[in-house]
Amino acid sequence: MRRFLLKRLLSAIVTLWLLATIVFLIVNVLPGDVGRQILGPFATQESVAAYNERLGTDRPLWQQYLTSMRRLFTFDFGDSYATSSPVNDIIFPALGRSAKLAVLALIITIPISILAGIIAARRQDKFTDRAIVTAGLATSSIPEFVSAAVLMSIFCVHWKIGKVFANPPEGTSLLGQFPYLIMPALAMAVTYFGYLARMTRAGVITAQNADYARTATMKGLSRRAVMRRHVLRNALAPTITVISVQIGYLMGGIIGVEKVFNYSGLGSTMIMAVGSKDIPVLQGAVLLVGVIYMVSTLLADLLIAYLNPRVRLEGV
Amino acid sequence: MEPAAPAPASPPSTTDDGRPAVEVIVAGVQQASERKLARRENWRLIRRRPSFIIGVFIVLVWVVCAVLGSRLAPHDPLDFRAKVHLPPSADFPFGTDKTGRDVLSRVIAGARDVLKIAPAAAFLGGIFGVVLGMLMGYIGKRLDLVLSRIVEAFIALPVLLLALLAIVTLGNSAWVVLGVVAALFTPIVARTVRAAVMAERDLDYVTSAKLRGESSSFIMFREILPNVMGPIIVELTVRIGYAVFTISTLSFLGAGPPPPSPDWGAQVSEGYNSIAAGIWWTTFFPAAAIASLVIAVNLIADSVQSVLEAS
Repeated sequence: MRRFLLKRLLSAIVTLWLLATIVFLIVNVLPGDVGRQILGPFATQESVAAYNERLGTDRPLWQQYLTSMRRLFTFDFGDSYATSSPVNDIIFPALGRSAKLAVLALIITIPISILAGIIAARRQDKFTDRAIVTAGLATSSIPEFVSAAVLMSIFCVHWKIGKVFANPPEGTSLLGQFPYLIMPALAMAVTYFGYLARMTRAGVITAQNADYARTATMKGLSRRAVMRRHVLRNALAPTITVISVQIGYLMGGIIGVEKVFNYSGLGSTMIMAVGSKDIPVLQGAVLLVGVIYMVSTLLADLLIAYLNPRVRLEGV
Repeated sequence: MEPAAPAPASPPSTTDDGRPAVEVIVAGVQQASERKLARRENWRLIRRRPSFIIGVFIVLVWVVCAVLGSRLAPHDPLDFRAKVHLPPSADFPFGTDKTGRDVLSRVIAGARDVLKIAPAAAFLGGIFGVVLGMLMGYIGKRLDLVLSRIVEAFIALPVLLLALLAIVTLGNSAWVVLGVVAALFTPIVARTVRAAVMAERDLDYVTSAKLRGESSSFIMFREILPNVMGPIIVELTVRIGYAVFTISTLSFLGAGPPPPSPDWGAQVSEGYNSIAAGIWWTTFFPAAAIASLVIAVNLIADSVQSVLEAS
């Protein structure tokens, strides 16, 4: 178990380092003068040069790379180009707000999609199954900002349920924030329903046709017991993996949803950083999402190992 | 497939697992032709699936819109002489937007950009991904080890985030959007192709080709490639769907192809602030257009996938 854990941790660190390098390369090596990009085409060459010097973007690349790696390991991304305040003071509070939205979306989507996946698997190839699979396919292919806009038109404007502006007023209690957050969370939940339901369905179908499930049925266990003790335990491993991967991807989809609902989370921070070409903020936010992804996949691996002794003993 | 391919200078008489080489060569050639028949049968099954037909129909509707464009649109998509924010009516079936332009005409015109850039990005990413995945899966060893880590790192982040980052540094022209999306799809396609190639590379037809003395590139692209076309086609269709998804999200976020191209994502971005005032049509119709196109592409991808997985 310890070897398994260590191996996973090591590979997560290597991946994170590569990720940081990729982000560095995108920002620095691709052609494009940072100062010119920020100041625009009408700035004089001198002011662009001065700006690059102030940002440190005129130094040799290897020096910039070392700085950027040091920043990754100390998790200090320097100051924002746009506001001059430390990047961390911008991205962490924003992450907190986005996390609330993401957690609510997961709370809605995980039980519903797992249940739908199990029902579809039990009714394999019947009408219910087809309906769930097709609905899942449709909802998971629509971009989050599209479902957000459609949900907003229907619920917030037509039926007047939920708020058009998702930012709750200062000092609202956690429970009081619910009506503000529910619609954007629902827009995200809709997209992830499809993936999770399909994954659960596939896992359950494989597991219920497996020899161990047949043996359990033959030895006289009830359908319910076979399902709970044998099928679900095995079937949920791919679902857990997908959930953990989705937690990273939630942070991609959240950008559009936050924009539609004018919610000031990490997504809106990134859009603003895009608008003002604020590369340190963008870099910090992107790496933060990478770290979240690493941690959540690591946790998923542990959970799967806990559920399935074969994995933890073989140390795949 | 010519069974009478030139034999290598000194043909080994047995393979690694001790079977006579001639037997493996014959078995391999037979296997190759059986697989060709199976591929033809699969294609016939795919064409008969209702979800495939519906998907193709919707995509064709948008292709017609993209090709005919202004000849199909009732108004000029850039003409702002109508009243602003007119609700849907006989004259303006989808209403008018905040500058008085016809929403229907803009939705029709918006098909053109997305149908050019999205498939192009998916195909470009697909080609690079196939080459990369083929090298990783067939050559393997240390090259695979290193490339796999890099691919994993790319996959650790939502495509959208890296695309935003890249477009901020490069500026947003249609070419940049195309290139960035293609580059970010490459590792994803490569991972699929690698897995498929690894399942094939020890089969008889590959050993047979090796014994006949074929070059690595011949084996990779003439022998293995046709047999892994299934997963590649599925991945490509799925990627086209994601390309529409990603590009429309990018243009919604203001990092897509620049105006005045009447892109669907940009139209949603112009309209969504008016939803609260009850003006839903400027957002709803372009949003529905995006939804219909991605769903259609995914219906096609899904029917291809279910037939290939069943076989």
